[in-house]
Amino acid sequence: MADATRTAAENLVTITINGIDHSVRAGQRLITAAEGIGDYIPRFCHHDKLEPVGKCRMCLVEVEGPRGKQLVPSCTMIVNEGMVVDTESVVVKKAQEGVLEFLLINHPLDCSVCDKGGECPLQDQTYAHGPGESRFIETKRTFKKPIPISDVVLLDRERCVLCDRCVRVADDIAGDPLITFNERGNSTQILTFPNEPFSSYFSGNTVQVCPVGALTSVDYRFRARPWDLEKVSSVSLRDTMHSSVEIHTTRGKVVRVYGADNDHVNDGWLSDKDRFSFATLHSEDRVTTPLVRNGDSFDKISWPEAIEMVASRLGAFLGQEVGSIGGANSTNEEAYTLGKFMRSVVGTPHIDAQVGDGLKPHLAAAVTPRALIQDLESVSTVFVWGPDLKETLPVMYLRVRKAVRNGAKLVVIHPASTGLDSIATHVVRYRAGSGQDTLRKLASGEGELAGVAETLASGSVVTLFGRASIAEDPGLAESVAAYARGLDGPGLIPLLGRGNTFGALDMGLAPNLLPGRVSTSDEKGSSSIEDAWGLMPVGAGRDSMGMLAALRSGDMKALVLVGSDPVRDCPDPGLAVEALEAADFVVAFDAFLTDSSRLADLVLPAAVWGEVDGTVTNLEGRVQAVKRALPPRGQAQSIMGALSDIAFAMGADLKAFDVATVTKEISTLAPAYEGVTPDYLTFETDGTGVVVPMDGVAQPLGYIPTDMSVPIVTDRFTLHLAASLYDDGVTTRNAPSISGLVPKAVARLNPKDASLLAVSQDSVVTIADVLELPVAVDSTVVQGSVVVPFNHAATKGLSATAAVAVAAVRSEI
Amino acid sequence: MTTRILTTRMEEHPSDSNSMARYLDTGGYATLRHALASLSPEQVASEVKASNLRGRGGAGFPMGVKWGFLADSDPKYLVINADESEPGTFKDRQLLERDPHQLVEGIVLSSFALGIHRAFIYIRGEYPKAARRVQQAIEEAFEAGYLGADICGSGFSLDVSIHLGGGAYICGEETALLNSLEGRRGEPRLKPPFPAVAGLYSRPTIVNNVESLSNVPWIVANGGTAYSSIGPERSAGTRMFSLSGHVKKPGNYEIVMGMSWRDLIYGIGGGIRDGNELKTWIPGGASAPWLVPEHLDTPLTIDDVTALGTMLGSGAVVVMDQTTDVVAAAHSIVRFFAHESCGQCTPCREGTRWLQDILERILDGSGRPSDIDLLLDVSDNISPGLTWPPAMTTICPLGPSATAPIVSITKYFLDEVKAKIDGFEVAVG
Amino acid sequence: MSGSMNRSVINHWSPENQRRAAAILASYPEDRSAVMPLLYLASREHRYVTEDAMKEVAALVGIAAAQVRSVASFYTMYKREPVGDYLISVCTSISCHLLGGDQVLAAAFSAAGVGNGETTEDGKISVERAECIGACGGAPAVQVNYELIEGITPDKIAALVAWLNDTQPNVVLTDEMQQLFGGQRSFDWGPTESVGASSAVPAFGPYGSASEGQ
Ligand SMILES: Cc1cc2nc3c(=O)[nH]c(=O)nc-3n(C[C@H](O)[C@H](O)[C@H](O)COP(=O)(O)O)c2cc1C
Ligand code: SF4
Ligand code: FES
Repeated sequence: MADATRTAAENLVTITINGIDHSVRAGQRLITAAEGIGDYIPRFCHHDKLEPVGKCRMCLVEVEGPRGKQLVPSCTMIVNEGMVVDTESVVVKKAQEGVLEFLLINHPLDCSVCDKGGECPLQDQTYAHGPGESRFIETKRTFKKPIPISDVVLLDRERCVLCDRCVRVADDIAGDPLITFNERGNSTQILTFPNEPFSSYFSGNTVQVCPVGALTSVDYRFRARPWDLEKVSSVSLRDTMHSSVEIHTTRGKVVRVYGADNDHVNDGWLSDKDRFSFATLHSEDRVTTPLVRNGDSFDKISWPEAIEMVASRLGAFLGQEVGSIGGANSTNEEAYTLGKFMRSVVGTPHIDAQVGDGLKPHLAAAVTPRALIQDLESVSTVFVWGPDLKETLPVMYLRVRKAVRNGAKLVVIHPASTGLDSIATHVVRYRAGSGQDTLRKLASGEGELAGVAETLASGSVVTLFGRASIAEDPGLAESVAAYARGLDGPGLIPLLGRGNTFGALDMGLAPNLLPGRVSTSDEKGSSSIEDAWGLMPVGAGRDSMGMLAALRSGDMKALVLVGSDPVRDCPDPGLAVEALEAADFVVAFDAFLTDSSRLADLVLPAAVWGEVDGTVTNLEGRVQAVKRALPPRGQAQSIMGALSDIAFAMGADLKAFDVATVTKEISTLAPAYEGVTPDYLTFETDGTGVVVPMDGVAQPLGYIPTDMSVPIVTDRFTLHLAASLYDDGVTTRNAPSISGLVPKAVARLNPKDASLLAVSQDSVVTIADVLELPVAVDSTVVQGSVVVPFNHAATKGLSATAAVAVAAVRSEI
Repeated sequence: MTTRILTTRMEEHPSDSNSMARYLDTGGYATLRHALASLSPEQVASEVKASNLRGRGGAGFPMGVKWGFLADSDPKYLVINADESEPGTFKDRQLLERDPHQLVEGIVLSSFALGIHRAFIYIRGEYPKAARRVQQAIEEAFEAGYLGADICGSGFSLDVSIHLGGGAYICGEETALLNSLEGRRGEPRLKPPFPAVAGLYSRPTIVNNVESLSNVPWIVANGGTAYSSIGPERSAGTRMFSLSGHVKKPGNYEIVMGMSWRDLIYGIGGGIRDGNELKTWIPGGASAPWLVPEHLDTPLTIDDVTALGTMLGSGAVVVMDQTTDVVAAAHSIVRFFAHESCGQCTPCREGTRWLQDILERILDGSGRPSDIDLLLDVSDNISPGLTWPPAMTTICPLGPSATAPIVSITKYFLDEVKAKIDGFEVAVG
Repeated sequence: MSGSMNRSVINHWSPENQRRAAAILASYPEDRSAVMPLLYLASREHRYVTEDAMKEVAALVGIAAAQVRSVASFYTMYKREPVGDYLISVCTSISCHLLGGDQVLAAAFSAAGVGNGETTEDGKISVERAECIGACGGAPAVQVNYELIEGITPDKIAALVAWLNDTQPNVVLTDEMQQLFGGQRSFDWGPTESVGASSAVPAFGPYGSASEGQ
């Protein structure tokens, strides 16, 4: 299918529209071809990203056929050579006006209170051609006014034109067929099943595609009128996909986020987290001034005082005694400035954007061959061995679904069930911790995995790899990558969660990487950076876990946290707490007081997504621009500016005067980023960004699959920490419309294990002696492992160790 | 001279024409045994092609030509359309209840000709008795080795089962039927692709009507040319007509086309009940525009009837005498289509119901003079130009069908319609 | 898909209906095709298509309950509200309309004391307006639990309602009712049958029929 579109792209056909010949791309729908040459045919059911259904009949045009001119829906017609089309004839106009009248007879006239008022094609077309007075004197169809069909979406059936867009989004795109047509004929209506809400991670897309005001979002309802909106194009930083968005603001507030078309990345779709979590910007709990510790609480101080304090405290340590953790949610410019500050001003190599939850920096940043997201549309097999995409990279999940719709086979290997299982060709589940063993079996191509190996060996493959859970040995992902490099096809895409991790790594926020993926052991590469920066510590530094251990032991003294919460996110929360408590000085740039920043000596209010300009890099290496839609909240600042001031107070000049200067510096210093400026991204690439090349910067990656499988210990269970889209992270917690969607925490156990432990559904177990959870008996869990939610309030403090003790709690009498 | 193909057995053996014993006893399955033993699939198909039989489901598409479109990729399916729901039509019910083995033999022969190994009989849910009789016939045929694996030792195998509808006229439309058979809403699909290319489960599929397939044993036994030589050219063969309404002798009649409407209504139908006068009749089911006495001597062939701006459709002739309130009759038909609209196309979903509402108003005595233009203009927005065959703003012809009675009553009985509307009474009166 | 896990959702169904469900699922190339027959079977189990029934069918064929409801609500024969022991469907489409179907319907409403689609308080009888039931030659026609009676009259339908109330047959037989209350037929029906409907589910072997005397 995708192939066909690609070859067709080169083929042109000539069609005649209203007497004028046009050369248009073959294979496309007439409605799209006409639009391409400036003839907009009205429509309701047609949507570029959905399969045509031809139901609303608004787009009828006349096409010359063997039996004369015939009315046909232009949304289902594929253009062909010599097609003669009339889009303006009397017959066409009458048919279109007839459809409009039919749609209006049962449509309420409540445009003035409708969220869609002002951007509604039904309203627009009625003003343009509608009959002045209604010939319909019967009573209109009535339904109960807006009914909530989920926590975030409301449905008003009276306004619905039954275009089938929401149903197609829910069923075909998202795979959540929870909103359907009910009844038939004149009684047809859209509905969810009683007591089964439209709980889809993608529900907001239905609101966006609804051509009228039938589906509205709880968030946006009555908030603004379209003519008051200011719109800014940007990308989402909720995960490493970087879906294109439009941020809509009014009177200094973001009121909604829309998906924007970027076929390279998101096809116009967003996850509800991308869409609805903008509310965190306006959260009451934002840190809006610098805060200094005073015993158990914080006092507000001014920025100059805060800067002076950071400069003097950091300046008092040896460079090697200071480290930084974080920067993965920052822009490339901020990340670059942070790295430059730490290395050239503080003089330390201890820098890490990840918190022990990611991949080895060189693997994530420079794995080759690197596939593109769009390659998914033309390969014969997609191979996923990493996190559950639906929960961690939901828009990537949609892309994989699309690949499967286009005919690709899908192989999913994971320790537990995943969102993709139902459409996978092969699902392999392994006991958490025994992945290396599974990989060895796969690589040998014999035994139970022979069929899987065969699928992977035949045809082209894109491999999506990463860590299935934070409890999993990071070496496994490396081994998987080593195996997958041997498969035919475009290559691999590494999977990491946090917003701009790939950008941060490319900017050198890793103990062994310098900007442009230059290794610290690459003398030539590092010396050219040293020349530019003036000072550069020699060799590799400690990673996050190493820094935390060194802080606890006193080998390191101070820490800079940048939008990072190791107490929540690192595999050993206990270590993180002890490290932060032991440190002499901790400064945290953050938008919120988190479990980690709460332990800092000084908290600096950070500007966040939506408040800063800059560039970011996604998981395929695509660089795109993020745009400021609002001024930073309160006294919040971009860390770029704050670090510049701190450096100045320490007697150094980072030359980070503004974003453009830093972008320019990156483009000269990091060869892959040559020529990549925000203007270039916005104008030269139509906002769809550019993939920075891998060639010449890649590290030679030597993979040795090793046997690291965890021995089976009968009274202990290997741990799988399952991520979920709505977790206890700062984003979900501070977005009211989605914070209620965090699933209840349970410990999932295989039925056989449950009976060995003498527990059943809903009885309580202790995990690793630190927490208690109710049991869910689940046959998709592999025997010998326990599945527990990651980053959930109820699992706080649980270390991500390979194996944990699980025991039944006897109920008290 | 009566030529009977489909109804001989039930006429001659009313008490047990549906049984296996009677079917065998009257030569049943002999054609199948012969064909499997000594004919190739191509030979069977070419007899059907030569018969020129035009589909009896309503559209009248030549059966052999349709078979020729079947894509050659396995698996492929045969689906028997026994959803008969067009008001006025009850012929398939008789064929199902009274001679189910004839249909089963037709199915096996057709499947053999087409290389098909799985068939589904889609029977409307309101026909439980027909379903029971066909089910019994299927079971008997399996038992006797005329269905199942290796039929009559030929190596050819076929599985057949019944799928009962859920109460929806639109499922008679072949693509809606396929959706229904797939466990979906009975909404017609966009064409192309046609079922012969992508039908049931997106596989190549032939959909044929019960009556069409019931003819196949005779065609294979007697030869396609024997069939095509019966009746006028382009309207070959015998055909079941369902006669109902104000005739003295309603019922199904198997006739050779070419006779006049007068012969059918006054001859076979015995004329109008109670000595009344003929006012109008529907020649081919509720979807068809009506005819009036001036057309009585037109020959009853597909082409002649098309020339009059209507159709033979499903062969349902509904006769109305002079006592008929044509507005009420039109309302009954329009209400039917509004009730049965699947609802996906805006003009059909909204338009049929609006037409129903306007007619209801007129019948209630609250019609307005502008309502006649309104009825016609709403109709025109469903079927532009109100021509024959109908142009459509819709996916399938159901919506446009609802305009047939509107066109008919305003064309032939305008005064009567006006008389029901207050403003006109003054003007006319 | 139709594995044992899904079967467990209908463990409370009668063993007979569980067996039928399994056979129905096995008879189609794709599970989803079994939705309609399973809805009939579920109506037989619960007396109408309850929300639970839709969930059960959804689990059996592996689709969402919302999709099952979407299908069930498309068709007129899947009743989503309790329906009487005897569902009387009166045809008023064109041929029946011409011969008094509307009067028959009115007589049925008044004899049962209910309106369209309603059920008597004792839960015995429901009356509905039906569209063409393929008995035009025997117009006007009605069905009781989809078993046909042709050539009925307003008087006869009142008698039919009384008879159903009085005798409360476990199974309604088309031949018997035709004999008692019918008139002109569309055609000769052939041999009589002793199989009929025991509820408002079409009396067809795989899911609805029952023999006389049961
Ligand atoms: C609204 C509508 C209803 C139909 N109903 C029936 C029907 O009840 N029975 C039937 O055989 N064909 C019906 N058809 C025609 C079928 O779509 C299809 O043409 C037919 O089953 C093909 O069989 P044939 O070629 O043997 O006639 C209907 C068509 C339409 C548009
Ligand atoms: S014309 Fe009516 S019945 Fe036919 S597809 Fe359209 S809405 Fe459905
Ligand atoms: S846009 Fe073409 S039919 Fe709706």
